[in-house]
Amino acid sequence: MKPIAFLLIAVATLAGIVTFTAAVSGHTDENAAPIYGVTIPAGYRDWKLISVARVGAPLNDLRAKLGNDIAIKAYRDRKVPFPDGTIIARLAWQQVTSETIKNAFRVRGGTETHLSPEQVEKLVDGSFVAGPPTNVQFMVKDSTKYASTGGWGFAQFNDGKPADEATHKTCFACHEPAKDSDFVFTRYAP
Amino acid sequence: MSRMVFVLIVVAIAAGVIALTPARSVHADEEASPIYGVKIPAGYRDWRLIAVKQLHFAGMGEQLRAQVGNDIAIKAFKEGTRPFPDGAIIAAMHWTRVPSEDNDKVLDVPFPGTHSFVIGSPVNVQIMVKDSKKYAATGGWGFADFKDGKPGDTALHQTCFPCHAPAKDRDFVFTNYAPAP
Repeated sequence: MKPIAFLLIAVATLAGIVTFTAAVSGHTDENAAPIYGVTIPAGYRDWKLISVARVGAPLNDLRAKLGNDIAIKAYRDRKVPFPDGTIIARLAWQQVTSETIKNAFRVRGGTETHLSPEQVEKLVDGSFVAGPPTNVQFMVKDSTKYASTGGWGFAQFNDGKPADEATHKTCFACHEPAKDSDFVFTRYAP
Repeated sequence: MSRMVFVLIVVAIAAGVIALTPARSVHADEEASPIYGVKIPAGYRDWRLIAVKQLHFAGMGEQLRAQVGNDIAIKAFKEGTRPFPDGAIIAAMHWTRVPSEDNDKVLDVPFPGTHSFVIGSPVNVQIMVKDSKKYAATGGWGFADFKDGKPGDTALHQTCFPCHAPAKDRDFVFTNYAPAP
């Protein structure tokens, strides 16, 4: 390798480290979850999809679980317990009805299917799309740091701010029934 | 760089190209959708999430659905670009919806009586491919519906565009990008 090329790579690498360090130190304590100290992982909205779910009344929300690359690989390889570095994000949105989709059903119901108008309305009533976001929860695997809670650090953020300590005290207790699957409820959607 | 290292890199690249070529030619044999000739895009399950929804079908129960997009589609969604640029591909994955008793037990503590639902089994995947010239007659979109990797018939694919017509003012796409919570 030419010295100049080596130098360029070295400079680029150093610049990357400096940038990364600045980004990490940019998170202050008020942005971290109580008890676990978990902060919102950068770029989590662009992670790959694990699965989707819905919760009925009183929550009435739609949910998506996303995972970082370590999480996705572990899911595909069926690796339990999840390796250190795994992060799973649970996003939730209020369910709302969509007029555009309702109209699409009405058009289709009237012209191309044998559905009665009542059936079309029933169909429309049970259909929802993701509306305003409610909150996001994270599980971060670090078997040493979080040894007392199954190796997982937990966090919930509402509007980018971590929920209080009382909320975070419930995380692990709630996940304990899923001990056999390393405290993770969600399965990978084929 | 030593000559030996250079030779090794060239050999490695050549091996990669050779390894990739048979994999691609296998895909070429896969079936395409009628009318539009759209195939299942490689790696779509790893695309980024656009949004999720639930659909209730009369007499058939509910489905849980997720829409994912390739890089061109995601960029357009985030920037609000309409119409979508050529090359945008949206994949809608549909699963049956089943109750989750395990989740209900857990949710019953903070939210008594809650009923929660998770995915059951895959139903189908629908693809929309933007090519404003090739698919000029159908809003610039090519459509495809695959079940177990096999495309649906011509009659099914004749319903795609009329069904999407109500979303004309948003470039025939129903789904809105779900913002990060």
